[in-house]
Amino acid sequence: MAKQEKKSSGTPVAIIVGVLVLVVFGGFLFYRSSSTPSRGNTNVASNGTPIPRPTINPNAPAGATPPTSVGAPNAAVTVEEFADFQCGSCAASYPVLKDLIRTYSGNPNFRFVFRNFPLQMHDKAYDAAVAAEAAGLQNPAKVWLMHEQLFTNQQTWAVNPNYRELWNEYAQKIGLDVERFKADMSGMVAKSRVDQDLARGRAIGISSTPTVIVNGRMIPYTEVTAAGMRRIVDTELQAAAAPQQQTAPANR
Amino acid sequence: MSDAKEHIEPARGRWIPFAAAFVAIAGLLDAVYLTIKHYTAEPVPCSLIEGCETVLTSAYAEFAGIPTAAYGALAYFVAFSLAILAAYGNRLTWKLFGVHVVIMVLVTCWLLYLQAYVINAFCQFCLISALTTFLLFILFIISKVTRSSV
Repeated sequence: MAKQEKKSSGTPVAIIVGVLVLVVFGGFLFYRSSSTPSRGNTNVASNGTPIPRPTINPNAPAGATPPTSVGAPNAAVTVEEFADFQCGSCAASYPVLKDLIRTYSGNPNFRFVFRNFPLQMHDKAYDAAVAAEAAGLQNPAKVWLMHEQLFTNQQTWAVNPNYRELWNEYAQKIGLDVERFKADMSGMVAKSRVDQDLARGRAIGISSTPTVIVNGRMIPYTEVTAAGMRRIVDTELQAAAAPQQQTAPANR
Repeated sequence: MSDAKEHIEPARGRWIPFAAAFVAIAGLLDAVYLTIKHYTAEPVPCSLIEGCETVLTSAYAEFAGIPTAAYGALAYFVAFSLAILAAYGNRLTWKLFGVHVVIMVLVTCWLLYLQAYVINAFCQFCLISALTTFLLFILFIISKVTRSSV
């Protein structure tokens, strides 16, 4: 009888320990399988060849024309970003893409295009995109300065009910005519440009921001790092230069 | 007489702590999954449909540097252990189970409030966890209402 009781009291403890071991062991295996490779060289295979990425719909609408861009329209490498000024990840990626523009803006084969893709869940994102476009309407060079103001001050205006007053301050700070900025924000031209960018993004199938596209191929967000983007652009530049190098001797 | 009752009724009411242990296992697996996701998650972009990413990357995803889900995993393991011990006749552990589950329900209500009104996003795995906690509470209530001699 005593032996039976002893056996009975040992059973639940054995079950508890067994479950604990199973959960810890199973959790460890799951952790190992879930751990993604580092955000390093994931765009290039071990043999150095680029890994194919999903390509975008070539028949998608062009978006705002002319786009907010840096570089020649016929550049061999085009980086296109779809962003939302109220998205934290877009603000986090802003220095990365700003650095990319600064690094390659002198290269005739490089082009950067910015597209507005305000997400509906962000209540001020559409107006922020219109504000950026309004700055661009007044002076195309100022659009980048307004981008900087909107991204770097995102935490301030996104939670401020008087956010439009803050944007007016940003406009003044970057040297815009504030009254014209307000008028352009109310007008249809800036809104139409945002709508055209949105239409392009939807046709392409953008589902999150920031989405970066290099020469028609979507780049995973995990690769949108300073080193990752430079590596991708360098690879594309080399690929663009390779046919020219091959044909050059034949032309001689 | 009382000895006979003790001998018969535990078998009749044992399904409740066994069921509670089963539910606690489900909650434990869910919480372990969320804990692992917390440590392996890459930075996430802003999605058209917000959900788990928003919740799991919010300021409330951690408490004192430890993932909130890890506290959940510990709570479910304790609930499971107490339920199993109760299923094998330890009445005290079932009372402790009741106290433990009431605390879990209170914490769950607070987490649901955070998702609904502070983070403004719901994570389906967090909702599954809430469901399992409420199921544990319901099982405990059933045991009291039916006066099951757990």
